[in-house]
Amino acid sequence: MENKLQEVNEQAAVNASEALSKLTDRPVEVEISRTEVKKVEGLSPLIGLEEMVAGIYLPVTGDINGAALLIFPKETAFVLSDLLVKRKPGTTHKLTELDTSALKEVGNIISGNYLTILSNVLQIKIIEHIPNFSFDMFGAIVSQIITDFAQKTEKALVIEIEFTFKPETFKGYFLLLFEVEQFRAMLGSLVGVAAEGA
Amino acid sequence: MDIEVHIGEIEVTQRPHNLVTCGVGSCLVVTLYDPKLQIGALAHTMLPLSPTQNTEHETHLSGSLSPEAQPSQQTCLVAEQVSAKVKDTKYIDVAIDEMLQRMQTKGAKREDLEAKLIGGANMFSSFNSDIGKNNVLNAKDKLKKEGIKIVGECVGGSQGRSVEFSPTTGVVTVKTKF
Repeated sequence: MENKLQEVNEQAAVNASEALSKLTDRPVEVEISRTEVKKVEGLSPLIGLEEMVAGIYLPVTGDINGAALLIFPKETAFVLSDLLVKRKPGTTHKLTELDTSALKEVGNIISGNYLTILSNVLQIKIIEHIPNFSFDMFGAIVSQIITDFAQKTEKALVIEIEFTFKPETFKGYFLLLFEVEQFRAMLGSLVGVAAEGA
Repeated sequence: MDIEVHIGEIEVTQRPHNLVTCGVGSCLVVTLYDPKLQIGALAHTMLPLSPTQNTEHETHLSGSLSPEAQPSQQTCLVAEQVSAKVKDTKYIDVAIDEMLQRMQTKGAKREDLEAKLIGGANMFSSFNSDIGKNNVLNAKDKLKKEGIKIVGECVGGSQGRSVEFSPTTGVVTVKTKF
């Protein structure tokens, strides 16, 4: 069963890479950086806590509760906005409502893709909610998610996925958090995976 | 020297050092300052109240630190027993108790202490979350209960904040994206 999570991650990485490549018309490398169980407040800082980022947050409910968070550092968000809204590269220096909407749609696509695969492979019901957007410090955005999460559970199954947009090598990050106990209860043999990072 | 305080942690220091913490969203930063001794404490808290298992622990600490309480062998014993446990200072009530204890150990007097609150935002304005607001309300309740006056606050909204606290001057500097 633990291979199933790996299978989900691999399929999701391929699909996300294809979807982002289509949207931006350039190669996008996708790498599953980490899958582990850890204390929610101990999430590793992917980038500087004060770095400005665009954050797209999608709450997840259904058979398992969780959170999907897409993070684009400021420069990546600007470059992506130019590509998505078909502007001349280097035009965007401030995100408009249109840019925000386009970035939220990217969040919908990436998150929807992952959760659909997870739902199909594990035969569980997952509901993805509408995306919420914030452009602010990375630490402030992530801490909002983990604080909401910490009210329900001490530890989370954390999946970190990293995107690299070629050739410029701009990066983006996709974080998934699930309640560990729910995962364990539903998928007994996932305990093996969970224990590794505990 | 700047001492960085991470999420869920507490630091207490004296001049000339500063206490800093970055990227505060719905979390709440509580600073306590003794202007006479120039001692400062900063807590980067996450959640309002410790869960049931910490209730007893919280009660013991409050009891040992109440303004009227005189140090006694019994209260000292309680404090030692509590300090032997791992304190989960991501909770506001536990964090404030711990800050008071550490500051008093350094000679600070409860009646001289001044508190400031920073954070308690909701970073996603379209997402209905009361956690930031609850953090602020609970901190105010707790400080009132402990008899600590609040002299400043920069709370709420939907902005991230970074905080620098100088125990030399007592000044708390809050940085936002603007």
